[in-house]
Amino acid sequence: MALEGEAAGLAAIGAGLAVGLTGIGAGMGEKDVGAAAVGAMTEDRSIFGTAMIFMVIPETIVIFGLVVAIIALFALG
Amino acid sequence: MFRRNRSKGNYAYTVARVKAKKSLLLKEEDYDKMLMMTVPEISRYISEAGYNKEMTDLAGRMSGINLLEHATHLNMAKVFSSILLSSTGELYEMVSAYLDKWDVWNLKVILRGKSYGLDAEDIREDLVPAGRLSAESLDKLIALDTDDDILASFGKTTHVSFPPEVLATYKAGGNLGVIEDFLEKVHYERLIGSIDRSSRPSHLFYDYIREEVDMKNFETILKLKAEGVYGEQVMKYIISGGRKIDDRMLATMANAEDIGSMMSEVAQLEFGEAVKEALESNNLREAVLSIRKYGRQKARKFSRLYPLSVIPVIDYMINKEYEVRNIRAVARGTESGLDRETIKGLLVI
Repeated sequence: MALEGEAAGLAAIGAGLAVGLTGIGAGMGEKDVGAAAVGAMTEDRSIFGTAMIFMVIPETIVIFGLVVAIIALFALG
Repeated sequence: MFRRNRSKGNYAYTVARVKAKKSLLLKEEDYDKMLMMTVPEISRYISEAGYNKEMTDLAGRMSGINLLEHATHLNMAKVFSSILLSSTGELYEMVSAYLDKWDVWNLKVILRGKSYGLDAEDIREDLVPAGRLSAESLDKLIALDTDDDILASFGKTTHVSFPPEVLATYKAGGNLGVIEDFLEKVHYERLIGSIDRSSRPSHLFYDYIREEVDMKNFETILKLKAEGVYGEQVMKYIISGGRKIDDRMLATMANAEDIGSMMSEVAQLEFGEAVKEALESNNLREAVLSIRKYGRQKARKFSRLYPLSVIPVIDYMINKEYEVRNIRAVARGTESGLDRETIKGLLVI
């Protein structure tokens, strides 16, 4: 069932917020992880792979946001 | 919410760097191996343990124990400078204030070297340009002719004004001790003053430094007691701003006729338990070593409590300094023919 009128508008805003806020959250998390990863790699380049994994962990929260946004958009029809 | 506070400092970056550096420091088993080696073997061993560049750079100009000592100092200065340069904001301020002690060290080396008539190259060998004064600024100090010029120039660059009575005492007897004591007091006063205690980790660092002042003062009292100095004479050498040792306790300890009669005060100190045994057996060297080991353990404990603070950085610098001291102790001990157990007893691991 496709949403209409005010409900459709709210769902679209919800989808936007889900992606936007999780993106900001991930960015705030990655700020310190990224700085620490670069710092550690300055001393030991061999840890690039491990540092990269830690670096992308906060990104997973954006995927959750994206999933929520897609569900909301599907509801729009 | 999104304003990036530049004045706070880049803790994540600097702490990750020092943690990576700390993992490369020598371990107890490395010292055990070094105790079985000769001086050239020790030199080769530490070359492979991170001192390679400095050892190679200096190998053309010096050899043996001189090469090893100069290379370790140079490496330490480079490492400390790189930490300072990579930190920003309040972290930079605190690290810089902590590293000021090397300016004091360098001034002592220059004045001592000059008084013994050493040439510039010999003096340079013992310098650790890790403070505010760069190697070039130190070269300029070495090039000056008189002690007055050196002190005036040092005071101008580091914003320290020597009181007339300190300068008068120094000039009258040529005793470098008064200058050293004054600079050490200024260093700790500035360091304590530079710490912004608004956050819990900074407050812990503040407490740690004040406890370091306690340890320094206690060490001074022990050494003076061993030489039979007590009362008002002791108070001259005391640094103010300690954590546990207040004026009342200081006066009691200073007036105690021997170490045995100040044991009740020692029991009130945080490191009292660590030194108790050595003091009871009247072993001053062991007591001083115990205090230092306690200080190192305390820094290690603090650094684990607050990973994103200045404490892990200071903990690394303390560990690096002890590594250099330990390498030099092993090399000097080996060269003088001391037995392994005695050398190992001198190490702070």
